[in-house]
Amino acid sequence: MPSTTETSTAVRDQGGAASAAPPGPPPSRARRPSRWWAWGFLAPVTIYLAAFYAYPLYRNVELSLREYTVRSFVQGGAPFAGLDNYRTVLTDPAFGPTLTHTVVFTAASLVFQFTIGMALALFFHQHFPLSRTLRALILVPWLLPLIVSASTWSWLLNSDSGLVNAALGVVGIDPVNWLTSPGWSLTSVIIANVWIGIPFNLVVLYSGLQAIPTEMYEASALDGATGWQRFWGITFPLLRPVSLITLLLGLIYTLKVFDIIWIMTKGGPTGSSATLATWSYRLGFGNLLPEFGPGAAIGNLLIVLALIAGLVYIRIERRQQLR
Amino acid sequence: MTGLSRRRRLAAVAVIALATVTGSACSSSGDGGADGGAYLVWDPYPQFADDSEWVALLKKCGTSAGVTVERTGYDTTDLTNKALLAAQQGNSPDVLIVDNPVISTLAEAGALTTTDDNKLDVSAMEKNLLGAGQSNGKTYGVPIGANTLALYYNKDVLTAAGVDPAAVKDWTSLTAALTKVKAKGKKGITFSAIGTEEGSFQFLPWFWGSGAQLTSLDSPQAVSALTLWTDWLKQGHAPNSVINNTQTTSWQEFATGDYAFAENGTWQLANAEKLGFSYGTIPIPASAGGPAPAPTGGEFVSIPVQKKTSRYETSQKLVTCLTNADNLLTTDTTLSYVAPVAAVQERQATADPKLKVWVEAVRAAKGRTGDDLGTKYPKISEALWTAVQSALSGGKSPQEALAAAQTAATTR
Amino acid sequence: MTTSTPRAWWKTGVGLVLTGLMLFPVYWMINVSFTRDQDMRASPPHLFPTNGTLDGYRAVLDQQLPYLGTSFLVGLGTVVLTVALAAPAGYALAKLRPPGGPALSFLLLIAQMIPGIIMAMGFYAIYLTLGVLNTLPGLILADTTLAVPFAVLIFTAFMSGIPDELLQAAVVDGAGRLRTFWSVVLPVSRNSIVTVSLFAFLWSWSDFIFASTLAGGGDYQPITLGIYHYIGNNNQQWNAIMATAVVASIPAAVLLVLAQRYVSMGVTAGAVKD
Repeated sequence: MPSTTETSTAVRDQGGAASAAPPGPPPSRARRPSRWWAWGFLAPVTIYLAAFYAYPLYRNVELSLREYTVRSFVQGGAPFAGLDNYRTVLTDPAFGPTLTHTVVFTAASLVFQFTIGMALALFFHQHFPLSRTLRALILVPWLLPLIVSASTWSWLLNSDSGLVNAALGVVGIDPVNWLTSPGWSLTSVIIANVWIGIPFNLVVLYSGLQAIPTEMYEASALDGATGWQRFWGITFPLLRPVSLITLLLGLIYTLKVFDIIWIMTKGGPTGSSATLATWSYRLGFGNLLPEFGPGAAIGNLLIVLALIAGLVYIRIERRQQLR
Repeated sequence: MTGLSRRRRLAAVAVIALATVTGSACSSSGDGGADGGAYLVWDPYPQFADDSEWVALLKKCGTSAGVTVERTGYDTTDLTNKALLAAQQGNSPDVLIVDNPVISTLAEAGALTTTDDNKLDVSAMEKNLLGAGQSNGKTYGVPIGANTLALYYNKDVLTAAGVDPAAVKDWTSLTAALTKVKAKGKKGITFSAIGTEEGSFQFLPWFWGSGAQLTSLDSPQAVSALTLWTDWLKQGHAPNSVINNTQTTSWQEFATGDYAFAENGTWQLANAEKLGFSYGTIPIPASAGGPAPAPTGGEFVSIPVQKKTSRYETSQKLVTCLTNADNLLTTDTTLSYVAPVAAVQERQATADPKLKVWVEAVRAAKGRTGDDLGTKYPKISEALWTAVQSALSGGKSPQEALAAAQTAATTR
Repeated sequence: MTTSTPRAWWKTGVGLVLTGLMLFPVYWMINVSFTRDQDMRASPPHLFPTNGTLDGYRAVLDQQLPYLGTSFLVGLGTVVLTVALAAPAGYALAKLRPPGGPALSFLLLIAQMIPGIIMAMGFYAIYLTLGVLNTLPGLILADTTLAVPFAVLIFTAFMSGIPDELLQAAVVDGAGRLRTFWSVVLPVSRNSIVTVSLFAFLWSWSDFIFASTLAGGGDYQPITLGIYHYIGNNNQQWNAIMATAVVASIPAAVLLVLAQRYVSMGVTAGAVKD
């Protein structure tokens, strides 16, 4: 395997110096004035953001602040409603349970995706025959259109003809109504979502692992550190920036997930697997008579949630850099 | 430094690619839009490719109206949003074919022309089918074909259980038949009770068959209909999966040959011929006997509002061509639908005697947005399917579920 | 690589099992793609498509190949555009610390939260005025919005790990900022470029909402729309749907494996020459 060895050489080139100083520039450099020219590098993406995100965002806010009917959606002239749509959503009896589902769905998905993704990344990082091919194959679920992967899961979890219940039957466990009982539906969509999210975590964390210089491991191996000690002593701290961004992005994507749930359970039965994202979709687009206002209001609430997560991230990141 | 030059070459490729992307984006502006000689037709039949009979028919009608037709097939759930968005941007197609309950929504949005504007002749259409396209005395479209629901049965399973399908006349005899089937180790009935419009569509024959009305979801009759379904699940006559079944899933269950009955639609006729067993159909029985009114399904052809009103004349020719007797026969045969015109229905029934049951069922069927419910229907329907889901999944009793539905349907 | 071969093969075994578990739903999809309608909901389900049918594949091979081509073009275009936009931005945010940089990262976070359908509606309005509905560049541009914010954040996270000494050395050698970015930052960021490219490709490959809103009416429809041929108004042909997914993922999977090979070979070449 000549390629593997050389890969690590290349990585060493980049990381060799890093082992001397921890990642991130020293704080004194950050305070150097007049770095406006750096915007030259940022200009393309800034223009891009302004051109393609500003309008949809503006539109979503505008939708939520007016009282839209199908008629005024098409013909214009929807009256300004202030925060009425937000009030409608927040006082809806479904709001509490839906928020809880969103939190549970997001937290459980993140924890499992990240842990399993990390474990797989560590495993595949030990180069062995076929490791690269297998790692590429694990990405295959990402190639599937969501309608296919989510439908496959609802196939497997079907109460009567699903493979999971058939397998449980073999070991003598009674069939579970995965998708059709209010007690299980949320668990089922979490399982499917974790499955879909693992490759993302695996790939990003794996790239992070590759950037860690091998000398650090060799040194600690000389010190007689065990695998576990090496993980907590070297891998985990050095992987922190990448882990943080993976979790943050995972959080944002998970908050937004609606298609998997929509295809598997439509948020049901009786709202037992509905999250804010599916609720927003149902109001705005999953109905014969759309209610754009409340739908957009929920969408904006989700954006606020992501904002809070972003603030937390920036705080943590800053604390790390000061340390 | 060969490495560097290779990188530079790669970069050049990237830049050129970017330039092509942005460059051609600019150059292609200008064409596009609905202003050319072509007339745009949107339909919910993505399953028909460009070489299908349906598309050939569209082209032919275009030719005879002296224009070219540009057709796009969209997924049906996507088409409503698409049509609303296009109307908002003043970019509606010239001819729009949509599922019938959507007509009232689009009409409410002011996106469709009435027959007063577009001069379409709808006099030949059956009144019960046309109802879904009318509100406040105006007609917004022409049905292109109709379908409805009935009970398919598996002859082998019924014979083995000693059930005569002709004797299934009301709810009691149906449940008795299910019990006999179950005693033989087979499964009773499958349907779709999913939390979408499909679920309401499937529940409505039982709901209406009990004598209930959509204006009062919590009437004792309505409760009896939902109790019927709930009890079937409890007693194992219907599988638990119905709560999440689409009509296709439910059909796949029936196709295994394990089920005695399946509630499904006209469109399955073509697939029914491919079943590995012999089948028959009976009307869905009403609570006290006789056929229950089933909801009408099927699509409407409509002419959306255009900035250039001069286009209506040609659009009208196109629609008239699509809905003339001969073309209806072709279209509805491909779609496995029943024609909306009595004369064509007769021709269909003569050509294929199996369609006779369906022609009768369609004649007895009822529009969902009829009874002047119009845009109130979507709200009622959502409340109804939610109630069905909560009763079947055991969350609430039928009584409680429907009481909650009535509250939900009448507030806001 | 001093690890003894038996140990390594033992790991391969475990790797195979783990991959097998992860890919089981994919196997199920393949199974369904061969299954006849009457066996689809058999209880208990058939583990293998006994009495299988090739109907699904027949339908797909007749109708779907052009869509695959479009998907590839769109995927590659998305990758190129995404990296071109995001890599410089990631470098600037990670290393140059311009005033207002954190605010921009923050905007990127928010950008990702806008529901896809709202984005699609916005694009529809913009494209209609520009006249770029149903064009390849239009779809590519829209698909990059799925990946660009992600890409910038990932580049920022990875590039902040590049040692400053390396960059300073380049400056001492007389390289300008652009030159430093081009010949130092980009080469050592191969890993993150690969990661970003992978996701940009995968996202655009599996995008449905932009495709349906912005390209649904044209000659350039990607494979996700091709699937809708089998989703009729009342009826879905599941074996054909699954067969499409299988046929669509085989070339893309091969590309994934090859891309990883090629990329690590590229790294090797660079390492030897430098």
